[in-house]
Amino acid sequence: MDATDAAANQRLPLIAVARRLPQRLRGINRLGFALIFLIPSLVIFGAFVFYPLLKAVYLGFYETDPFGNQGDFVALDQYRTVLTSESFRHSLWITFLFALYTVPPGILLGLALALLANQKLPGISIFRIMFSSTVATSVAVASLMWLTLLNPSVGLLNYFLVEAGQPRIDWLNDLDWALPAVSATTVWLNLGLAFIVILAGLQAIPEELYESARVEGASDLSVFWHVTLPLLSPTLFFVSVVGTILAFQSFGQIHILTRGGPLDATTVIVYSIWQDAFQRFDYGVASVQAVALFLLVLGLTVIQIRFLERRVFYQ
Amino acid sequence: MSRVVFDHVTKSFGDVVAVADLSLEVHDKEFLVLLGPSGCGKSTALRLVAGLEDPAEGNIIIGDRIVNNVEAKNRNVAMVFQNYALFPHMSVYDNMAFGLRMRRIPRRERDQKVLDAARMLGLQDLLRRRPGELSGGQRQRVALGRAIVRNPSVFLMDEPLSNLDAKLRVQTRRELVKLHRQLETTVIFVTHDQVEAMTMGARIAIIHEGALQQVGDPQEVYQHPANLFVASFIGSPAMNFFHSELRLHDDQLMAHSSGGRFPLSEEQARALAVLKEGKVIVGVRPEHILPDWEAEEGPEAGLDVVVDTVESMGHEQHVTFSAGDTTVVARLDAARSLQEGERLRLRIDRAHMHFFDPDSGQRIERE
Ligand SMILES: Nc1ncnc2c1ncn2[C@@H]1O[C@H](COP(=O)(O)OP(=O)(O)OP(=O)(O)O)[C@@H](O)[C@H]1O
Ligand SMILES: [Mg+2]
Repeated sequence: MDATDAAANQRLPLIAVARRLPQRLRGINRLGFALIFLIPSLVIFGAFVFYPLLKAVYLGFYETDPFGNQGDFVALDQYRTVLTSESFRHSLWITFLFALYTVPPGILLGLALALLANQKLPGISIFRIMFSSTVATSVAVASLMWLTLLNPSVGLLNYFLVEAGQPRIDWLNDLDWALPAVSATTVWLNLGLAFIVILAGLQAIPEELYESARVEGASDLSVFWHVTLPLLSPTLFFVSVVGTILAFQSFGQIHILTRGGPLDATTVIVYSIWQDAFQRFDYGVASVQAVALFLLVLGLTVIQIRFLERRVFYQ
Repeated sequence: MSRVVFDHVTKSFGDVVAVADLSLEVHDKEFLVLLGPSGCGKSTALRLVAGLEDPAEGNIIIGDRIVNNVEAKNRNVAMVFQNYALFPHMSVYDNMAFGLRMRRIPRRERDQKVLDAARMLGLQDLLRRRPGELSGGQRQRVALGRAIVRNPSVFLMDEPLSNLDAKLRVQTRRELVKLHRQLETTVIFVTHDQVEAMTMGARIAIIHEGALQQVGDPQEVYQHPANLFVASFIGSPAMNFFHSELRLHDDQLMAHSSGGRFPLSEEQARALAVLKEGKVIVGVRPEHILPDWEAEEGPEAGLDVVVDTVESMGHEQHVTFSAGDTTVVARLDAARSLQEGERLRLRIDRAHMHFFDPDSGQRIERE
């Protein structure tokens, strides 16, 4: 910009504005540019997360007629009846039990395997691959595998029972054993992920910290308790949050192994939603449960962040 | 009694011999410095004492006890790591108290000890902070504090000053020496910095490629380096070496090198008689080389040189000369300025010449 231009700017502010216009446009352009990059994920999230979520809330306000068509607007009535129903309370209870049976054991097992695989031994990478292999196993394959293992007549588990002189158990049809059996499958299925994440967390702990703890006189147990565990806490926290969410969303293994039975002993909320929506075609009732599940997972995650995370040490 | 003895200790990692047949006694209450270039095995030697590595051969003795099979936690040694290895999730207090807690020292006594150490190191106001909230120098003091509260029989320090800035390093160096006087414990201090070694060590053990080269007080290793490695490693700028041949000129033994020739005294000649081939390496420290401002040609010869570069340090100047195909460095006082390309003659103080056997690299000492 030369001297005459500057003088012109002073006399005619409009020209100055016009001169700055390209900059403005560039600002708008940048927003447009950012949008171009965001659009794919916005579309996907919009279509598969935000829209269904809002739609579920909306559907919860309407009854569904026996043919699966949207019926009368009932406002919160349907929410009230479904959420206070005996069957919802049952599936909620089953879901909590399922989470209890899968999350803590999953973390403990993942931690134990990761501690083993974190040793410096020849050939240890083979074990690392083996322990993490379940992440590459689909729910269907895992379920079929466990279906065989749990089979009352030809399954390996009953083989051991019989060898030990115990009566056979029909794991998946037994009122007391069905949920533990499904839980075991789930623990196995999610173990790979927990293992990988925890092992990565372990390997991020500097070797000198172990060494200085040992020189300071700590036993192996003390080293684990005072050094390993605190430094691993962010990882364990992450695994517990993700594990809880995974547990609340489990469906495939229940569908394949027990179909929610026997006598709804394994009907977790997700399974109950599926039954209501796609077997009874009662989308209203299913939607109410879906919204409840969403709020439940959200609430649990917030609670974990509020209370567990306080004990977490971030580097 | 807390002497530390390396008795023919060897440790290798695969093909790399980190410590090679090391025999060394660190006396009770001594401040010994392990000095050597990077990768020579200093840390490994220290870790062998701490019990973090096991010797492949030989014995490690602490006090009167062979500790080869004693676990690290039972050796009653304290180690200050190069990067301090403080527990990031614990407060300064908890870091310092950790060793006492592990030894089940009652709370009151523990508090007392930590407070005493904190006072000694000026850490009273930082006890509740985490290491992440401290400066490098403060962390270093916490690491020291963690070591001293336990009153260990041996202190091991692995380059604890290397992360500090130059000024703090000098200051901490003095504090450490003072601390050692107060604590009266055996200290093994590892460094690759010769200035640190010279200023701190009662004795210095110089290591190269895992093998001990020389042990002695700073004066000794500086004035009587045992071999070419020690001679070149100690002193800055480094010692000048002249690969020379011994020749007789009118009954006067001279060492001829490509840069010039040096007449030798009778005593030196006698000492050099052990050399069969008549070849010798003459070493001269930069401060023992002087320009001969009133040089005259003659048999009392020196080095005819050309000034290459002049580095001024303020109080003195380091001048690089070239003499034939060798380079000579001299430390001269700053009084007279030298120009690049200037020709002059250098004189060498005969009494300060060092002689080394070119084959073995060992020092040839006058009796
Ligand atoms: N755990 C290990 N595995 C394999 N090689 C090792 C191991 N520790 C040390 N070494 C090797 O042993 C030699 C000595 O290492 P050491 O750490 O003792 O050197 P250092 O003198 O402390 O060096 P620096 O001054 O760089 O710390 C080096 O060649 C190093 O590569
Ligand atoms: Mg080292």
